[in-house]
Amino acid sequence: MIRPTVGELLSGVAVSLRERVLPEIPPGVTRRQIQAAIGIIRRVALVWDKTGPYFYADNQDIEETLRRLLPVLQRVVADEADAQLEAVSMKLRSTLEQSSQPAGPYPSPAVLGDRNIELQGLLAELEEVLHENPAAKTTGRLEIDSVVRALLRRMLARELEITSPAR
Amino acid sequence: MKEPVGDAVSILRERLREFIQAQEPQAEGIEVGNLAPLTAGNTRNAWSFDASWNEGEIKRTAGCVMLRKAEAGQLETPLIPEFEVIRRLGKTGLPIPQAFWIDPEGKWLERPAFILERVAGTSDFPALMRPEGAEMSRGVAEHLVEVGAQLHTADWKALGLDFLPATTIKTAAAQQVEYWESLFRRHRLEPHPAMVAAFIWLKEHQPVADRITVVHGDFRYGNLLYEGKRINALLDWEMVHLGDPVEDLTWAYRALWSPAGVMSLEEFTDRYTKASGIPVHPDNLLFYRLFNEMKHAIISLTGAKSFNDGRTRNIVIADRAATVTSYLIQFFDWLPEVKVGKAS
Repeated sequence: MIRPTVGELLSGVAVSLRERVLPEIPPGVTRRQIQAAIGIIRRVALVWDKTGPYFYADNQDIEETLRRLLPVLQRVVADEADAQLEAVSMKLRSTLEQSSQPAGPYPSPAVLGDRNIELQGLLAELEEVLHENPAAKTTGRLEIDSVVRALLRRMLARELEITSPAR
Repeated sequence: MKEPVGDAVSILRERLREFIQAQEPQAEGIEVGNLAPLTAGNTRNAWSFDASWNEGEIKRTAGCVMLRKAEAGQLETPLIPEFEVIRRLGKTGLPIPQAFWIDPEGKWLERPAFILERVAGTSDFPALMRPEGAEMSRGVAEHLVEVGAQLHTADWKALGLDFLPATTIKTAAAQQVEYWESLFRRHRLEPHPAMVAAFIWLKEHQPVADRITVVHGDFRYGNLLYEGKRINALLDWEMVHLGDPVEDLTWAYRALWSPAGVMSLEEFTDRYTKASGIPVHPDNLLFYRLFNEMKHAIISLTGAKSFNDGRTRNIVIADRAATVTSYLIQFFDWLPEVKVGKAS
């Protein structure tokens, strides 16, 4: 079964709830709960079919950016002999190598989501280690910061399409 | 979240009567009437009722609001400090409801709760945001400046508010960041690298406060009872703490409820400084604007986690994690650029 899509089905349910069920419910807690539920169903209806492509694009962007940062990070590690940064650098390399070994030709949104969380975690760890010593603001570290911040902004812009879709 | 109905309301009425009797042992013939739910908020559920009793020959009556702790939600703060702040600040002439009684452990009222004076007015803040409400909103904003100035110049030590966690002008920002970051680490459902980056910036750019004052913590349209252009009561004190007063000013100007349409932030802070004598430095302003985006993001994550864990069934907060993205985008829009060429 392809039609109705999950998005179409949920949209229809939200409309029915709003037009048929809500008018029957008097003002109060129950009505507010139903209104909130309708809002959530509407959002999910709009983004359901987009989650797989969203995760795919996000993962690609994070991987490509981190891959581009790896030589900079390795340069910082060589310059500063920072053991924590070296550990993150190794973890980064190993995690990025895994991306060339996909679990299957058509990864599910769940698989892509797990990968996204893994990449998010790596990015968070890199940021934390990079700022472990706030006084160390070398050019290499600032360059990484700048690239990571630009990545985060792109990630947020993509995320907004999922969390606040145009209605 | 759940509103008692039928017999449950009768039981609650009787419990209220017994509770008031225990608080006012001299009272005779206590009656509780017109008990009705006002709101089912995300942290406190409000009920309105009228109480009356006799003290010897004197007949006492009180319009009351009971605030009962909701099931797990977006904020999990203790009731006693909140009640004590309301009780003590109520003596300063600030528009704050009179604090009557507290049941801190829910021994009488099923859940922890306290009872305040019922104050006239509306909390309808969307009415203040509509173009047709602009004149009224302008008046309320002007009064909000005065209320903020009055709150932040209150002598909190003399009022006995030094039971609130101590802080200093140098550590106020750090303490708030540490508190909210600890909640972030406890309540996040995924790593959130953007929030990690945001906390790093906040930890590396903490401003010194001009002075330490009582900070309401949720100072904004929506937490006011107003009539016409006047504020009758400042509500919702569950995030009250000692800190940098600029935190309150910037919270009032978050996009969701900002009065910027009728008074710019610049005018607000100018008026505030004139009224209070407290300067608002640009570094503090920027820091707390950024900090408040994170604070709201974490309140939302906390609500989402409570629902996800099944500790609340309040659907209103179920999808709050989805609101975080726009707060973070605002954070990064305001964030100064990284200057790569200027290494130190």
